[in-house]
Amino acid sequence: MGRYLVRRLFQMIPLVLGLSVIIFLLLVLAPGDPVDFLIFGNPNVRPQDVARLKHLYGLDQPIYVRYFKWLSRAAVGDFGYSMTYKEPVLQLVLARVSNSLWLTVPAFFLALIVAIPVGVYSALHQYSPMDYFATFFAFFGVSIPAFWFGIMMIYFFAVILKWLPPGGFATPGVPEGLPFYLDRIRYMILPTVVLSLLQMAALTRYTRSSMLEVIRQDYVRTARSKGLPERVVINKHALRNALIPIVTILALSIPALFAGAPLTETVFAWPGIGRLLVEAVLGADFAVAQAIIVFLALLVIVFNLLADIAYALLDPRIRYD
Amino acid sequence: MARNAVAIPERAVPAGVAVGQSYWQIAWRRFKHHRVALLGGAVILLFLLLAIFAPYLTPYSFEQIDLLNRKAPPSLKHLLGTDDLGHDVLTRLLYAGRISLTVGFSAALTSAFFGTLIGGLAGFYGRWLDNVLMRITDIMLSIPDLPVIIILARYMGGSVVGIVFVLTLFAWMGTARLVRGEILKLRNQDFTEAARAMGASDVRILVRHLIPNALAPVIVAATLTVGSAILLEAALSFLGVGIQPPTPSWGNMLQNAQDFIWTAPWLAVWPGAMIFLTVLCFNFLGDGLRDALDPRLKV
Repeated sequence: MGRYLVRRLFQMIPLVLGLSVIIFLLLVLAPGDPVDFLIFGNPNVRPQDVARLKHLYGLDQPIYVRYFKWLSRAAVGDFGYSMTYKEPVLQLVLARVSNSLWLTVPAFFLALIVAIPVGVYSALHQYSPMDYFATFFAFFGVSIPAFWFGIMMIYFFAVILKWLPPGGFATPGVPEGLPFYLDRIRYMILPTVVLSLLQMAALTRYTRSSMLEVIRQDYVRTARSKGLPERVVINKHALRNALIPIVTILALSIPALFAGAPLTETVFAWPGIGRLLVEAVLGADFAVAQAIIVFLALLVIVFNLLADIAYALLDPRIRYD
Repeated sequence: MARNAVAIPERAVPAGVAVGQSYWQIAWRRFKHHRVALLGGAVILLFLLLAIFAPYLTPYSFEQIDLLNRKAPPSLKHLLGTDDLGHDVLTRLLYAGRISLTVGFSAALTSAFFGTLIGGLAGFYGRWLDNVLMRITDIMLSIPDLPVIIILARYMGGSVVGIVFVLTLFAWMGTARLVRGEILKLRNQDFTEAARAMGASDVRILVRHLIPNALAPVIVAATLTVGSAILLEAALSFLGVGIQPPTPSWGNMLQNAQDFIWTAPWLAVWPGAMIFLTVLCFNFLGDGLRDALDPRLKV
């Protein structure tokens, strides 16, 4: 296992390098560099000053030099200083990440507990009304614009029924402890459902097709023919094998949930990383935007690796020596 | 040459397939039985016609404002009501369809082209080129696309061409993988060898013999890409980095609709419903095409 892990780590090098180049280019391509923003609208700046400032910030150096400087700073968590938020970018992004976790973690589990039973049931009762319903639900989930779905949920549950708040993070003045958490849950319900929907739909499809493939296998027929109860055949022989590819999909759905956050968090005014990205982009604070992409890329890398490890552990057919 | 020289035994022909039908005729027969896909295709056709003939279907222009009737509820004068500036919502909905459908089809066509090109080169030449192109494909597939697209769209300043460019950048990978796979299957088959023996150039073999055989998965992937491109364009415009007002798009019509959810909820309903229906229909159509063109295909 150790050697397998080392080999996998080496195989990740192209991915890590490729992602870092793309992220670096994102900032280089930005219209205007930090000096342009600094001197914007200031008539007293002479061309010599501009040249001196650009030299000071290293913007006059060749692009590959700038890339390596950027990479070495990013490696120690130095992403610069946010002009609009007046604090170090790293500190800002980390604070917002923890806010986003309030949505992504429940959304992940919601997708999991709905999609897997529905997908398994669909596969076991192929072409039943419930299967058609699940199929339609999956089409619905991947076709509906998340932001519109969010607005419709707000309209129904906040405007008409007045059951839940239309957006935000917490009611001001709620005491700490249990009341705080009960209050937070009321704010979490709608955005969690909206964020979860796309992953739930995709996961339902994957579970269904994985299960369909497994129940046609010879070992399932063998289990049936030796007289095992259907419950045992399904739970022990079919489901366990069907879940192996699902684990990979599950691991990759975590970065996907964060990637979907800009829309959900904007609609529900949730102060997480997704909304920060949108605000930073609209406010031309591209250093913040770039740091968020670095965070998302790290998630992709880590969860790709975790998916591989989980796959190797679960499937003995994968040889890891 | 005598056409009846070879007698076709009846059993060799699969049930429901008449002798002498081309691949596309067989595909069409199968497609006709996919009722949901037919419905999807019909709705898309209707939306296309509505977008094309928008100026003849409404007495208003999309920039015309009725200051006395701002945020007016649906009435005979304004069938779907008016927005906060007094625009006729139905008119803007029709014109917005032009933008959304143009973006969707353009992004699908360009990404089908580049996907085919990259997949074709990788599959045909193999070796290091295949390695490099497929690693790039893997990296592009692993990038969380929406956040990066949001940043790039902002750089493009909301032009239609810019949005199509950014969407294409993140939409060619699926096609490239599919085409590469097909080319690898076909590359060493007899008809390719025959073409080569007759002196055909690499380009001719690729364009005349290999790519046409890989067309079915490209068509399916392109159909699904139209839907996802429309969805992404709407998201960008909703967030304020896509198509900029006063040019209407379904996404930017929703931009401030949320602020008026208490006073004018109809503003939020229609643009989103149009996005949803259009994307749903493209997904149905793509599903039907996949079943018809190649039932084994997984896109």
